[in-house]
Amino acid sequence: MIELAHLQILSAGLFAIGTYGVLARRSAVLILMSIELMLNAVNINLVGYAAFVDFDEATRSFGQVLVIFVITIAAAELALAIAIILRLYRNRSTVNVDEIDLMKW
Amino acid sequence: MGPTMIGQGTEASLLVDIVFWVLAVSAIVSAFAVVQIRDLFRAALFLIMTLLSIAGMFILLRAEFLAAVQVLIYVGAISVLIIFAILMTGDVEEGSPSHSMRIPVAILSTLFGALAIFVSVSTDWNLLEPAIAAGQVSADAVEGVYSNTIPVIAKLLIRDFVLVFEIASVLLLAAVIGALALIREG
Amino acid sequence: MTTHDIYLLSPEISMAGLAILLILVDLVVSRKSILTIVAVLGLAVPLALSIVLWFDLTDQAATQMKADFGTEIVTFVVDKFSLFFKFLLVGATALVILASSEYVSKFKNFHGEFFALILFATSGMMLLASTVELITIYVSLELTALPIAALAAFMRDSRSSEAGLKFLILSAISSAVLLYGMVIIYGFTGTTVLADIATQLGGLLDGESAFGGNALLFGVILVIAGFGFKISSVPFQMWAPDVYEGSPTPVTAFLSVASKAAGFAVILRVFYIAFSAEILSVDWSAVFAVLAAVSMTFGNLVAIRQNNIKRMLGYSTIAHAGYLMVGLAAVASRTPDADAIIGPSGVLFYLSGYAITNLAAFSAVIAISNRINSDLIDSFAGMARRAPFLAGVLGFSMISLIGVPPTVGFMSKIYIFGAAVDTNLEWLAVTGMVNSVISAYYYLRVVKVMYLREPIDDAPVGSALPMKLAVMVTMAGTAFFGIYPTPLINLARSAVDVLVS
Repeated sequence: MIELAHLQILSAGLFAIGTYGVLARRSAVLILMSIELMLNAVNINLVGYAAFVDFDEATRSFGQVLVIFVITIAAAELALAIAIILRLYRNRSTVNVDEIDLMKW
Repeated sequence: MGPTMIGQGTEASLLVDIVFWVLAVSAIVSAFAVVQIRDLFRAALFLIMTLLSIAGMFILLRAEFLAAVQVLIYVGAISVLIIFAILMTGDVEEGSPSHSMRIPVAILSTLFGALAIFVSVSTDWNLLEPAIAAGQVSADAVEGVYSNTIPVIAKLLIRDFVLVFEIASVLLLAAVIGALALIREG
Repeated sequence: MTTHDIYLLSPEISMAGLAILLILVDLVVSRKSILTIVAVLGLAVPLALSIVLWFDLTDQAATQMKADFGTEIVTFVVDKFSLFFKFLLVGATALVILASSEYVSKFKNFHGEFFALILFATSGMMLLASTVELITIYVSLELTALPIAALAAFMRDSRSSEAGLKFLILSAISSAVLLYGMVIIYGFTGTTVLADIATQLGGLLDGESAFGGNALLFGVILVIAGFGFKISSVPFQMWAPDVYEGSPTPVTAFLSVASKAAGFAVILRVFYIAFSAEILSVDWSAVFAVLAAVSMTFGNLVAIRQNNIKRMLGYSTIAHAGYLMVGLAAVASRTPDADAIIGPSGVLFYLSGYAITNLAAFSAVIAISNRINSDLIDSFAGMARRAPFLAGVLGFSMISLIGVPPTVGFMSKIYIFGAAVDTNLEWLAVTGMVNSVISAYYYLRVVKVMYLREPIDDAPVGSALPMKLAVMVTMAGTAFFGIYPTPLINLARSAVDVLVS
């Protein structure tokens, strides 16, 4: 049977993989994809708590509401990030954060 | 049939378990592929795979509405946006090289993950299951937990969290204005 | 949403409305200087509404007005604490807009959008000061971060785009970390409302381990990490110097003042409301004390080596985040007979003093560097002869940043270090004083270059009227509150009453 611990381990694993991607990869697009992994890890945790923890009637669905906002904001954030990436690409023809070295990363 | 946890006490429980493990493994493996594969386009496809597995997980956890949102927004919009970005910046050929720091970073993130797992498992969560077993939760309440959550979410969104809903709309407007001002030649 | 709720939200609504108005005005006017006038005059509306709310509170002798959207779940309150920050934020925004009136001519287009994004970010910061619920805090934080990222990239050259991308990516990472922490707190306490978290924790704390459980401790640390990014405290400071250097200078000023103020508002609210229990506050106070000492030392030591004045001010802002965290560490529960509000009121007083001083410094830097097209400290050589007034203001604000009388910087440092001494944190006060001495080295270098070096060029550096206005207002504020700080201190003390009651 599924337990809360399984979901927490899955979530922690995804978050750690996302952290690794953010820190170890150089492509700005891939960093954004890794951030999506981190946010999804958070979402799994939220839905998991809603299903397994003994919450009050009134606050049980807060987690699901937060998931909706996380997804919405992730979309907005990504749209803006891609606008900046395209601007950077037009200026520099690269989106790898190491080669963008006018200032130290 | 009395109050039950997800996938427990029914004939379907074994099936639920199998589906859960398949989805979990698929999510983790594809996530790992996202950060490991050099080819950005394939990485984006694996990201979609992770996102779909997580959507399946939401269905399993009786959050059907979130599963739909996940598929529509994440898989439908965000992934397409990412693929557009990859194609427009010509990163497909270049690929995505890794830093020289990848080993220390890998150790660091593994430690972080291990710590997160340790604290989650070692903490005494206020779980629903023992409460059900002890009869502190009525059958109706358990039914309420796992029944259709859409009306509850709808009420929360436009009543309790209406302010957040409004802030999110202002945020979307600001993001659109910002993106347009940055990208339009003028 | 009743009329009363809209009344409570009116400063934020009018701020967002003004942003949209500016975009519309931009479409119809051809003289872009009108935009500055509309923006600054329009800011009088949220300010006036906040003042009305303040007097309404005083009249009712109430500590808080809660917006209820037809439910018991409180997400938004109006109290003197939030109104204090709204005054500060509206004032800082007005000064930033005045200071950028000349700078925007560097952008070919989209002047209206530039001002609108500043105002959107300000509305998010005002919301942050008022929210008492984690989901609202998260969404408001993003409303401040996204427009700022767009603003940082607004110059559309590669340095600026890079600054915007860095800010956006690091802010997204910090939000993810913050969310992970919030989710653990929600899972543990079963609620996202700050006051209810405190109630729940009261029953859960067993005294065996800090915070009553490993997970909760972990969650709180992640929350501190997420907020630490917003206030650019070590070890989450790495974005600050790069973003400060690459962004358009008015955006840098906005970031260093308004964004930091909003970050401290939300930290004070979360920690004083949700984690106010005595055994908890001793723990997080120790975390903030260490972060404070490390931040100020790191910021000051690295700032010494900088040649670019924006980058130097970027490191200086990390150091000042450290001084400000001294106020967070000074919680009353550390000593039996301490003044309960000395720590948080110190944060508020220091923040307002820092805001005025830093805006004076940045206005002068914008005015000068806009004309000489360079941000290098060496290019400010002999500025005392080329622009005596601007150089005087810049020098005076540097003295205030060090904390030498008769400036507001001196008064606020005395107050916040006094708070540390009152709460048995003498070592932190001493570290702070030693650091102030170190900082004198690089702040005075600017003064030395301007007054003792020969000018590179003899052409005088002038400035436009709005710029002069911004410089004079901030300069007058720095001097006035340096000589007579009592009204500001009283305001700060009355604002934080609600946190400890």
